[in-house]
Parts: sequence; structure tokens; C-alpha cells
Amino acid sequence: MEYGTIEREIHIDASPEVVFDVVSSPEHLREWWVDEAEFRAVPGGAGRIGFGDRSQGVNWVRFEVVDAVPPHLFSFRWTHEEGESAAQGNSNLVVFELEPAGSGTLLRMTETGFRERGWDEAKVAAKYAEHGSGWDFFLPRLSAYARKIGAGA
Amino acid sequence: MVDDDLWSAVGDPTRRRMLDLLLRDGSGTATSLSEHLPVTRQAVAKHLAVLDRVGLVHASTAGREKQFRVDEAQLARAVAQLAEVGAAWDSRLQRIKRIAETIQRERDTHGATEKKQ
Repeated sequence: MEYGTIEREIHIDASPEVVFDVVSSPEHLREWWVDEAEFRAVPGGAGRIGFGDRSQGVNWVRFEVVDAVPPHLFSFRWTHEEGESAAQGNSNLVVFELEPAGSGTLLRMTETGFRERGWDEAKVAAKYAEHGSGWDFFLPRLSAYARKIGAGA
Repeated sequence: MVDDDLWSAVGDPTRRRMLDLLLRDGSGTATSLSEHLPVTRQAVAKHLAVLDRVGLVHASTAGREKQFRVDEAQLARAVAQLAEVGAAWDSRLQRIKRIAETIQRERDTHGATEKKQ
């Protein structure tokens, strides 16, 4: 695992078609992650996602679909600056891979890009902690610290 | 905001490396740290000042040069925050799972004739 990458895997008792819809559609993103989502779930679909209440001002973040191959693959970049096009180095890349598994789906998620951006994300996360938008960009290393501290205590 | 400063302090790779070295050796000076890093003693001193400001390291002035040690309580606090944000994807994926399985159950209940929208 590359330093600065997080990977997760989860089995879901739903067809890849259903899971694809949930991970890729703006409506569903609003259920599992953000407060606002405006983008088209097609390759190159550029838009934005937002955190926070409309009445108190939404914190908007750029969002751009990289790949969308239903029901196998959905990937996007986010956190690039307004006016920039999403690319390596200015944004985080999130990749969802879906694979049929039994009667359900194996969903694999990878996020890369924290090396340069992690702490900015983490700051957003701290601000909107209730939305769970944070990243363990160097958690592996710091867990080692934690173990050391724990052992030394 | 203190936490913002804490994040930026640990956001820099050189400073993270310095924390590594200080944890490994127990303590260090700008001079001793710069021997292990591709930056000058002056640059290390600046980084140490940043870490000191957010309370991640503390200096003692025994001897000719300031000795720095990691503040384990403050580091544990940073670790706790990171552990919290690290759990974020896990909870998102749990929500994805719950939503997808609910949709699937509804579809199954409503019969096989219903097609994907």
C-alpha cells in the first residue's frame, strides 16, 4: 500500500447495478456523504459537492468524474481549486471497483492523493466532523507512534 | 484555531520525519536532526519552532544547544484526531452498504418484474 493511500473493501448484499447507482449518483451521495452534490455521473462530468447547511453557507468543493463504467467502475477527483482542471497533484482520486460476489457485490474503494493534500482535507473534516469527511493520510505512521506511546506509558 | 495549526504542523514531510527521529532517539537538537535530514540546521531549527508552537515538541536548555523532545500527550491528541478521521471511509462504506441493501430488498419484495431505473 502506497503511503498516502487508503484502501477499503466491503461486501454488500445488493447487485452491482444497485451498488453502482448508490456510489455514483448525486442523490445517493447526499445520503452517505455530503450535504450537496451537483454533477453528472459520466466521464468528465464536472461539478461540485458541498458540506454544511444552506442557511449557514455551504462549503463547496470541486468534484469531477474521471470514469464511469456501470456497473464495474466509478472514479472521481475532488478538492481541486476552482478554475483548475482535476489532475494528479491538485486533487484526491477516489476509485470504486465493483465485482459480483455470490448474490451480492464486493466493493473496493481506494483513495489516493493525500500526500500533498491530506492536511487540507483533514481541516475540512475537523470542521464538518459530523459528516465524516476525513482521511487517514498518514494514519499508518501515526498509529505506530500511538503504539509506541501506549507501550511506553 | 489550535487544531488547524496542529494539522499544518504535521502536514509537512520534513517535520514528520523529524518527529520520527525524535521518537526513535528520545530527544535531539537542530544539529543532530539535520545530520539525518537533507536540509540545513537552520531549516531544521525553523521546523522545530513550528512544532514547538503547536506543543508537539518541548525544548530544554541543558547543555550548549536546545534539546527537543516529543510531547507525547499532544502527539496522542493528534493521533486521536487522525484515528477519528480515519474511520470516516468506514462509516461512509457502511452507509453505502445499508442504502444499497435497502434498495435491493425493496426491489426483491416488489417482484422480479421491476427493472432498474
